[in-house]
Amino acid sequence: MELRCVRTGVILGSLVALAVVGCATGQTTTITGSGDPVADRQRLMKNNGANWAEIQAKVKAGNAEAVAVNAEALSLHAQRIPSLFPAGSLTEKSKAKPDIWQKWPEFQAAAKNLENRAGTLRDQAVAKDAAAVTATVATFGREACGTCHTPFRVPPPQQQPAPPRS
Amino acid sequence: MKLRYVKTEVVLGTLVALALASSATGQSMAKIWTSDVVADRQRLMKLNGASWADAQAKLKAGNVEAVAVNAETMTLIATQIVALFPQDSLTDKSKAKPEIWQKWPEFESAVKNYAMQAEKLRDAARSKDQAATEAVAKEFGRQACGTCHTPFRVPPPQQQPPSPPQQLQPR
Repeated sequence: MELRCVRTGVILGSLVALAVVGCATGQTTTITGSGDPVADRQRLMKNNGANWAEIQAKVKAGNAEAVAVNAEALSLHAQRIPSLFPAGSLTEKSKAKPDIWQKWPEFQAAAKNLENRAGTLRDQAVAKDAAAVTATVATFGREACGTCHTPFRVPPPQQQPAPPRS
Repeated sequence: MKLRYVKTEVVLGTLVALALASSATGQSMAKIWTSDVVADRQRLMKLNGASWADAQAKLKAGNVEAVAVNAETMTLIATQIVALFPQDSLTDKSKAKPEIWQKWPEFESAVKNYAMQAEKLRDAARSKDQAATEAVAKEFGRQACGTCHTPFRVPPPQQQPPSPPQQLQPR
């Protein structure tokens, strides 16, 4: 009898706690994602790539000041990256390496690094410092994208070397 | 004695369930924003405004396809808006109206509508259809931004009407 009461208590307590957690997090999870973290993060990273392509195009066209909007998009998107890699979200469609979850603090730091570098680029563009923008852009691929993609993403298939001319 | 056991176990069960719930959601609930939710959402909405301005400038320059990146940035931002308006986050610095929390479902659907309009803009731009992109853009201020800003944001201060030219007083 006593044991039954105890069990009931444990179950009751658990239900109360789950209900409380559900209410507390309910409002913030309504429109935040599709429920498919792989699709969500691939979409986010595609937009990162598109913003980065536009940054390069603007710099090439001598319009370095205009990259601020793209750099700020990169910086804000970067804040979300860790939340889009929940444990156990490695599927066949994902190019993520399992090292992400084995070295989680390094992964977080790499995302933070992108956030900071993109923030620097944004500030340089806002300050209309074209020379600084150009310098940051020159190393951005290696020092921002690369610090995460090199250790944590399966590399895209290598381009076949051009066949020798006969 | 019996009752005390039950109480202890209720507390224990609660703790266990909380621990499980937080570890299950822990990584996906990873902290994204700062502790100042008003600053966070103002930063987010500034990027929305800048993306929209960039899109308009590109349209004006006849660069329709390039609008897509801004529109997609806006749809991705839209997924963050609702979470940045928790209860009791109305401060002096905020331009939010209390109606947001009084009419929460309407606020949510206004955000949803914004996301859908931005997707429409993105898809039109991706299809390189200048007329379609311009048509969406033309209505965007009213039908995307406005459906949320009109009911839920304190309007920015009205421009002072230009003061009538001062009459020189005859001496």
